[in-house]
Amino acid sequence: MRNESEREDKKLQVLNGLDLKRIITVAAQVLDDAKEEVNALNVFPVPDGDTGTNMALTLKSAIRDLDNLDTENISKVAATIARGSLMGARGNSGVILSQYFRGFSDGLANLQTANGPQLARAFDLAAKTTYKAVMKPVEGTMLTVGRAVAEACMKAVEKEDLSPEEVWRIGIEAGAAALNNTPNILPVLKEAGVVDAGGKGLLLALEGAYKALIGEIDLTAEKPAETVGPVQEGITRIAGVLKNKYCTEFLIKGSNLNADQIRQAIESKGDSVLVVGDEQVVKVHIHTDHPGQVLEYCGQLGDLTEIAIDNMKLQNEMITDDKLQQNNNVVSFPLNKVNQTATHNGETKPIGIVAVVPGDGLSEIFTSLGVDYVIHGGQTMNPSTEEIVHAVEQINAEAVIILPNNKNVIFSAQQAKDLCAKRVEVVATRTIPQGIAAMVGFAEHLSLDENLAAMEQELENVRSGEITFAVRSTKAGEIDIEEQDYIGLAEGKIVTAGRSLTAVGLELLDNLVDEDSSLISIYVGDNQDMQAAEEFKALVEEKFDFCEVELYHGGQPLYFYIMSVE
Amino acid sequence: MPRIHVVTDSGSDLPKSTRGQYNIHVVPLSIQFGEEIYRDGVELSADQFYHRLTESADLPSTCQPSPADFVKCYEEISEPGDQIISVHLSSKLSGTYQSAVLASTMVEDRDIHVIDTKSASLGIGLVVVAVAEAVQNGASVEEAVALAERVIDELKVYFVVDTLEYLRRNGRIGAASALVGSLLNIKPVLTLENGIVTPFDKVRGKAKAVRKIFDILGDYIKARPGQRLRIGLSHGNVLHEAQQLVDRIKSEFAGNDLIVELVGPTIGVHAGPGTIALMWYPM
Repeated sequence: MRNESEREDKKLQVLNGLDLKRIITVAAQVLDDAKEEVNALNVFPVPDGDTGTNMALTLKSAIRDLDNLDTENISKVAATIARGSLMGARGNSGVILSQYFRGFSDGLANLQTANGPQLARAFDLAAKTTYKAVMKPVEGTMLTVGRAVAEACMKAVEKEDLSPEEVWRIGIEAGAAALNNTPNILPVLKEAGVVDAGGKGLLLALEGAYKALIGEIDLTAEKPAETVGPVQEGITRIAGVLKNKYCTEFLIKGSNLNADQIRQAIESKGDSVLVVGDEQVVKVHIHTDHPGQVLEYCGQLGDLTEIAIDNMKLQNEMITDDKLQQNNNVVSFPLNKVNQTATHNGETKPIGIVAVVPGDGLSEIFTSLGVDYVIHGGQTMNPSTEEIVHAVEQINAEAVIILPNNKNVIFSAQQAKDLCAKRVEVVATRTIPQGIAAMVGFAEHLSLDENLAAMEQELENVRSGEITFAVRSTKAGEIDIEEQDYIGLAEGKIVTAGRSLTAVGLELLDNLVDEDSSLISIYVGDNQDMQAAEEFKALVEEKFDFCEVELYHGGQPLYFYIMSVE
Repeated sequence: MPRIHVVTDSGSDLPKSTRGQYNIHVVPLSIQFGEEIYRDGVELSADQFYHRLTESADLPSTCQPSPADFVKCYEEISEPGDQIISVHLSSKLSGTYQSAVLASTMVEDRDIHVIDTKSASLGIGLVVVAVAEAVQNGASVEEAVALAERVIDELKVYFVVDTLEYLRRNGRIGAASALVGSLLNIKPVLTLENGIVTPFDKVRGKAKAVRKIFDILGDYIKARPGQRLRIGLSHGNVLHEAQQLVDRIKSEFAGNDLIVELVGPTIGVHAGPGTIALMWYPM
């Protein structure tokens, strides 16, 4: 903390590149610390609200390339932030945030430093760019918060000459008011009793930057941890088949936690087991072949956070590759999967396909349908734009079709399209069943345009249902939901909830099946055992006896069943 | 006065009544289960075949008739100076056509025309019926052969198999091989192109696949108002599914000629049980 007089002296009349670098780095740290708080603002009570995670990761990527950039030129720093966030954009909120930085950077173009009015203009262009980026802007969201910041700043600098600090303060005050007002604009927020998550994330970042600007928070020496950590010494020595290949780390937050008991319970699942902590927080580290089972068990004891699962076998392979070792900036996505049979004959295919898919079973299904590259992710982990670009580049094909398979990934996929050299098309699949239907409609011998038309056509013939559980009590329309209830979503909307998975499942299907339906497919999640799923299937066959019913292991996290009706 | 005789092979799947009505002669292929060999339709009926297919661990195979089998047939049914039209399984799927061509050069004093239908099951059957009907109505051999060529040209064949396994194991899968290996229960809608099995479309679930081939027929009919068709429907021992399709054809597309029969052992060996095939040509 600096004292008052020092602060007065240092009150900035202009903002330069080094200032921007410093405050945005703090903003990234602040947002990362608060991401769970933002995640909790999900309007749906589903267990995978990840707006905070997506925005924090996007911002982390925004500052990635600032390390080696020490320039006073603010336009260069802003451009670097914009490019970094664009590549790292995850989820819709991340994409919008990246567009915010793009506009911010455009507003500072060609400037060495920025004074108050110039900063206000940057905020203004930032907000305008986000509105242009979405096809149907919705008020009561991050867009509204950004616009309120911009309007307040522009109005303020019209009247008097203000310093960057003053502009920034006026902006975040207006942003905070706009955020608090979001429930009055968007009824879903009011119903859920929350403010908009994306708006909250944006405000947290702007507030964090402001606190750094006025010296309230200093830049710590500690850098945000990388997703893929350095490979430990011991691992490179392991030759051949690596047992317990997933390095799994996470925190359990709860009450009455007992580290010893947890250690005993998971010891048999792998090696290098480390369980430490107190009654409220326990850190778990284990090398295992069954990270899902470990998470499943520990999830029953409390809330899991900071989950990181790395495939050490693939890291090992990568680290022994000299070329990769020389390049510190190499991006790796260890859980993703290239379809070897599809791409390894060395020929350039006319059309390659990238799909974003959660779960081992679903990944295999997509691969068997001819997908060339499976990006591990989806509802619980939105891949970044960069990850999608990387996937597209891995495929030896003239053109690539991307199947996002999630409404929150479509935006990043479309952004990736503009960053790739080859022709890239996005078939906007919003669910896993739509993605599978699109793949069934794909035929290798047809042209790209014929395939796109056929795949789009297939989307109309399939209905999607999902079953997960409520993380808090709430009301969705007419449906009262208790915490831990099973909830059934038809085409993304909650249509049923209750204490019985079977009853919720059958009720959900009632919403999806009609007299023209002939096939029900059930993909079983990693939180549901196959025996119980077989019993559920028998009930479905009995109730909908005019339909064929197929059951597959999907392995997706958090969703007991993903179902399709066609 | 010289007569015209019509011969086909057991891959044509014509009902007994139709064969009787048009006086059609059938040369059987042989079906081999392990060490045992049966002549299709003579020592092994379609019903027996499907029963055997589910009971037996052996995967059956087929054996084309020898040229001598054809020579014997040609000589038995005809007098010197007669004419014969011999109508057969796609030469891309079987050596039957080759045997018949060879036999035609070995028989004296008969004028024999051997025709490659580039088709299978009732796809052959429809060509045979067209030819036999024309002959019965007094057409010359030249006219009947020209008609056969026209029918083969316009013949449409679409079929659904329960599994591609049978086509694959018997090496008849053609371009449909790309569809093998999916973890999902994908039902390919197949067609015959130039006598080779070719994928036309793929859907999930048998019901959708069957609906698909019915829709293809429906689109064909709607595009040609007033055109009468001769339609064949053959099935791999799935009478219930076939009957639903028959009912829909009769109610929605009345006035067309319809022949329904089991897929016999010759084609059944390659397509497997559960197959549904729909074929037609404009009369």
